[in-house]
Amino acid sequence: MQAWIEWARGPVFIFSFSFMVLGLARHVALTVWEAGRTMRRAGDRSLPLVAIGRATLKWLFPAGAIARNALFSSTSVLFHAAILVVPIFLAGHIALWTRAFGIGWPAIPNGVADVLTLLAIVTAVALAVQRLTARATRAISRPSDHLVLLAVALPFATGFLTMHPALNPFSFESTMLLHVMSGNLVLVLMPLTKLSHAVLLPGTQLISKVGWHWPLDSGSRVGAALGKEAERV
Amino acid sequence: MTDPKAKFGYYVEKRTLEATDRPRRFLEAFAAVLEHSSYHLPLDVYSRAGARCGQCAADCQLYQSTGEDRDIPCHRSELLMRIYRRYFTPAGALAARLGDGFVLTDEYLDGMGEAYYRCTACRRCKLTCPLGIDHGLITHLARWLLAEIDVVPKALVVATREQLEGVGNTSAIPVPALKDTCEFLEEELQENFNVEVKFPIDVEGAEYVFFPAVSDYLLEPDTLMGNAAVMHVTGGSWTIGTGNYDGINYGLFYSDRMMERIVKNEVAEVRRLKGRKILIGECGHATRSAWFVPTFCGPDAPEVVNFMQYTAKALREGRLPLKRDKIAERVTYHDPCNIARAGRITEEPREILRAICSDFVEMTPNRTENYCCGGGGGTVSVDEIRAFRTGPMGRRKAEQIRATGATYLVAPCANCKKQLREICEDNGLDQVQVVGLHDLVLKVLDFGAASGEARDGGPAADEVSRLAKADARQSAEHVRRCTEGGEAPRWLGATTENTAGI
Repeated sequence: MQAWIEWARGPVFIFSFSFMVLGLARHVALTVWEAGRTMRRAGDRSLPLVAIGRATLKWLFPAGAIARNALFSSTSVLFHAAILVVPIFLAGHIALWTRAFGIGWPAIPNGVADVLTLLAIVTAVALAVQRLTARATRAISRPSDHLVLLAVALPFATGFLTMHPALNPFSFESTMLLHVMSGNLVLVLMPLTKLSHAVLLPGTQLISKVGWHWPLDSGSRVGAALGKEAERV
Repeated sequence: MTDPKAKFGYYVEKRTLEATDRPRRFLEAFAAVLEHSSYHLPLDVYSRAGARCGQCAADCQLYQSTGEDRDIPCHRSELLMRIYRRYFTPAGALAARLGDGFVLTDEYLDGMGEAYYRCTACRRCKLTCPLGIDHGLITHLARWLLAEIDVVPKALVVATREQLEGVGNTSAIPVPALKDTCEFLEEELQENFNVEVKFPIDVEGAEYVFFPAVSDYLLEPDTLMGNAAVMHVTGGSWTIGTGNYDGINYGLFYSDRMMERIVKNEVAEVRRLKGRKILIGECGHATRSAWFVPTFCGPDAPEVVNFMQYTAKALREGRLPLKRDKIAERVTYHDPCNIARAGRITEEPREILRAICSDFVEMTPNRTENYCCGGGGGTVSVDEIRAFRTGPMGRRKAEQIRATGATYLVAPCANCKKQLREICEDNGLDQVQVVGLHDLVLKVLDFGAASGEARDGGPAADEVSRLAKADARQSAEHVRRCTEGGEAPRWLGATTENTAGI
């Protein structure tokens, strides 16, 4: 079993992590390239950068949203904060990086990590309940929306159990293997699913503006492509 | 197949119902648009990152009223994004082969034709989308693609045809009738204010070439008189061009191809008259579509100014002489989505209103977060869906207006005005008068001491304008009937007396 765990946090992790980094980098590169191309082709190259910057910051740190819809927004913000902080700043995770590559950074105390982990689990359950019960959200949910949430919650649940063997009804090794493999799964899913919003979100306000910046004569070019130049209205 | 309303809530032309091979043609149009315009980027990012949180539903006035799944903004946008993913992304094509099995059908397109005209493209949902998805952009694109397979409300396409291939404007007002109207308005100003205000026509080299919503010439004499009066007192250099005097651009509502043609016609008229700037009257969508002038014509195209921006500037510079007595009745202001949603024109009208009214109250919410009048996105022109517009779509607006207790509801937009009047009629808000901003400015402009006596001697200005409006509505109705019937409007025949009276 120990060999399986080493395999999961060795080669499988390296593959998953590289897959995530390369996949997300590809998204960013393609998006930046296409945004640049769109603006180079655009007839109107002016952009309200201050307003875009303000809207971007507003949604990266959505205090205003909490005022607007307290229950959903605060749940969502706490969920995101917890799932970002714990995997990166858990002492046990940093130790693995130090062992493999000799690099490290400051860790959060394990007590804080425990609280944040429980917070991640509780808010994930709350988001699942919201998705299943709020009428509009349920109506637009795809199967993947439920599954991705489950996939993200799993490493936290298993991670908590590995940290607290006394509470764990299963064997430590199998829990650890499940923890590492589910973590790897999330990494792989990052570029493939809506989780890519992790890197695309900072650009969406800009892109929503850029999308209105069409090339010179774009209307008539579409008309020509469709053979409709001479067609009457 | 014979009932023009059989498929959609709105009337369509016969060719819509006779069209064949629509899925293929829709996809061809989609491919051409993705290649030649800029929609690929937002579609791609929205498809990847959209999280389906459902927050948009909380801010959609339609969904809040109907509770129907099809009215959730994210649900509506998915109708188009699904086609995009299936036919224009490798992952979507793969998913289709692995069992998703989505195929674009005629029924699916009909569903889109209905869904995308239940949205007014007010873009309020963008404010609450954590991902910043602009559902208004998706509605805009979907309507264009639908128009390429002839799914478009008859009201929009008939007006655009009149503008691009008929008389030259959406209300089918010929030049002689325009001149008559302007002369009448000049006389009106002379009688009521004893002041010689001109509506300059075809003056070369003017700073501003004026493009109101052309329907103002039929329906909003007070707004136009207010516009001209402001130009008079500020010494503005402006002109109306007989080559093109219509700011209306329904292309914004259904086709970038039409929008480009209409925008270019405006620019051509400014160049013909050697003017410098495009001055848009009180009209939201006319302003927003004119903001696309540099998009279609490049950075050297004439600057675009909304009339409220002009008047507010004059006020700030102390060039707008006002009487000491302000308007005493309670006044509130409706922000038209097309100029306010992105925060571009929200303060200018308020500066003016605070200067001319003693009891100005805000609607809640207002400015960028204001509710749509319920007739946005061109739907106000579709008379057969009035019950929808003033019912589920307009209910929120009616409540908002009622809460202000206002007598005057200022709406600087031809479309909003029509819709708000219908909302007030259908929701028991009889005490509310829907007016333009310059209608009120006209009431308090100080033309100088000489005008006071004449005003006392003549008929009350309000009464005159009410009579003029009644005439104007008759004429508008006449034009509409003629246009729908395919005949040329008989402006210069039997109805000249009517039309001259606007």
